[in-house]
Amino acid sequence: MSSVVTRVVARMLLAPILVVAIAILVKGFADVGDGFSAGVVAALGILLQYVTLGREEVERTLPVRLLPHAAFVALLGALAVALVPLSRGDPILTHSPPAGAEVTTVGKLELMTAVAFDAAVFVLVLGAVVGIVHAVARAYEEMEAT
Amino acid sequence: MSLALPLGLVWAGAAVTALLDGRRRCVAWLAVGVLGAGFVALCVLQAHVLVDGPRTIVAGDWPAGVGIALRADALGVVFAVLSMGVLLAGLAYEVVDDLESRHTPALVLFMGAGLTGVFLTADIFNFYVFFELTMVASYAASTYGGERHQIGAGFIFAIVNLLGTFLFLIGLAAIYTVTGTLDMDGVGFALAQSEPTAVALIGVSVLVAFSIKLGLFPFHFWLPPVYVGATPGVAAMLSGAVANVGSYGLLRFGGDLLPDLFAAGAGVLAVLGSASIVYGAIQAISRRSASEVLAYSAIGQVGYVLIALAVGGPVGYAAAILYAIVNALNKALLFLTARVRGWLVGACFAIGALSVAGVPPSAGFFGKVELFRAGIDARSAVLVALIFLGGALSFVYMFQIYQRDFWRDRHDTSGGRALQVPGVLLALVVLGLGLWPEPLLAVSREAAATLTGGQR
Amino acid sequence: MTLAFALAAGVLAGSGAYLALKRDLLRVVAGIVLIANAANLTLMASGGTRGESPILPVEGEISDPLVQAMTLTALVIGFAVIALLLSLVYRVYTGYDTLDLDELSKEEARHAREIDQQARDDDDVAEAEGR
Repeated sequence: MSSVVTRVVARMLLAPILVVAIAILVKGFADVGDGFSAGVVAALGILLQYVTLGREEVERTLPVRLLPHAAFVALLGALAVALVPLSRGDPILTHSPPAGAEVTTVGKLELMTAVAFDAAVFVLVLGAVVGIVHAVARAYEEMEAT
Repeated sequence: MSLALPLGLVWAGAAVTALLDGRRRCVAWLAVGVLGAGFVALCVLQAHVLVDGPRTIVAGDWPAGVGIALRADALGVVFAVLSMGVLLAGLAYEVVDDLESRHTPALVLFMGAGLTGVFLTADIFNFYVFFELTMVASYAASTYGGERHQIGAGFIFAIVNLLGTFLFLIGLAAIYTVTGTLDMDGVGFALAQSEPTAVALIGVSVLVAFSIKLGLFPFHFWLPPVYVGATPGVAAMLSGAVANVGSYGLLRFGGDLLPDLFAAGAGVLAVLGSASIVYGAIQAISRRSASEVLAYSAIGQVGYVLIALAVGGPVGYAAAILYAIVNALNKALLFLTARVRGWLVGACFAIGALSVAGVPPSAGFFGKVELFRAGIDARSAVLVALIFLGGALSFVYMFQIYQRDFWRDRHDTSGGRALQVPGVLLALVVLGLGLWPEPLLAVSREAAATLTGGQR
Repeated sequence: MTLAFALAAGVLAGSGAYLALKRDLLRVVAGIVLIANAANLTLMASGGTRGESPILPVEGEISDPLVQAMTLTALVIGFAVIALLLSLVYRVYTGYDTLDLDELSKEEARHAREIDQQARDDDDVAEAEGR
């Protein structure tokens, strides 16, 4: 088990890591970043928790067990973004509003379907990585026990 | 109807069933229903493609050449319909036989989405992505049943096929270096004018990669333990649906993108194919248990596809496509009926066995006829003799199983009426295509015409 | 630059092949990881000879962004595949209590013999009954 300092630092780092991840996600449309890299950063934050605190404590205090399920819901969301344009007769993955059109903004965030797609990718990557980390951690515990 | 619909439908179905417990009856039947809907959608798409010609959509409304395209042409769509049908039969068998793992329906649906994507994409990198989706799902599915030796076999299966995959990825990088495009039409056009040495390297990596997937003779060693260990439904899916990726890949990359190279390397293809036929048949004759015979028979049967590819031209490609279709149906039928007992299933197994041997009135007869046509077209007495010999050997080993397992009625462990249904339906398809082969012949010629630029 | 890429990919693939031929399953997986990265590196290198952006024309020399997108995708797929392989290794370990490839193939051969023997015994029984 790791020392008190690493445990406290790991806990303190979680919130900033998630904020950075969200920042990478939302500024991806004007600057460097996208849902995928945001997902990886957030997953690294959670992995840090697993490494320092141990699986049981993380899964007791954080809702990480929901993330793998959320990943499949996000996959459905991404597929919906891809397929909904079909109902209007457009090809798959046609984003709206189209390039050049006026975009509704909330603060600095531009609302368009590409953002929804990237948010889905974010959750998908996060959920998949956390699912794998969970499986590996549990397998390790089983091996230790025997 | 858009050609993205079957793909999206099966994919979304996979995501939904992954959230639910697949051991529950309603979830498992939901998965079967989704596959059925995908199958129907693909059949409708095939009818459209055969009547109106190929269809293309470019994702995101980008101009062609910039955006990533999905394209349904006669070749892709026929393999998509075939694979989805086999997956449907295999999953239905496993569901009737009670699923033990919660993930199986989702895995099969992911396999279905991957296969549909592989056959309907016009972008070589997307081909790789969907191909990996299929393969990862099938590595996991091959261990279904959880027996110890299955997991060992599954590990070897994954390692060997991954080597093939990465070889394909390197070939893909080479294609992009040489051509600077990923669109299949553009790649074919650019490769025709590229330096022959570079093209030869690309061709070799692609040939080896797909030979591993098919289980051709020198790359076959992973195959028997996997097919022997797998449950009947999964074995049917692996041999009847996932293996199609290999045949389709050879046809698409060899016949469509590298036709000159494959014509130049016809000798290599013919030798590899012949070696597979002879090796598979001899191994199959020496085995006693039905699943082992079928596994080695699978190695032998894909050799015919390669021989037809070696002949090339409209006749050779049509024979290759026809034989790949018939072989997939035969293998699925045989794996689904080999472990069930009863007179009806015995009759169905006999139809499959006749079809493998190429005896009328089964679809396999026309597969062999087309191969003979190809052999005569190539004016090669050796090929014709080899096809005849292979057919005779397969007759021997198929009826060894039949005699051992069905004539002596000692396995009275018949597993319920419903378990017979998928096998019986496939047998009816094989028999029907044998009695009325015109649609199948027309489809395979149409598909071959997409490879030879309209030549019939 | 192409030479550097070629050398790096060659060394990776060579070391990967060496490891993949070892008897220890974890080394085999490590070998596959190296070969996967050799393929990814080749993919990266395939854009090095062209400086064209597919969408937005920019002044000056730039590298092809498409290969980076492709490599990223290939990396992710590789990650998923390796996770799957490691879980298979774990299942092998819990099932066989060994990570030795030789033990695995012995087990496989034993299983094949068992199936064959079973079929032969059944044949003998059926023949005896037939008489």
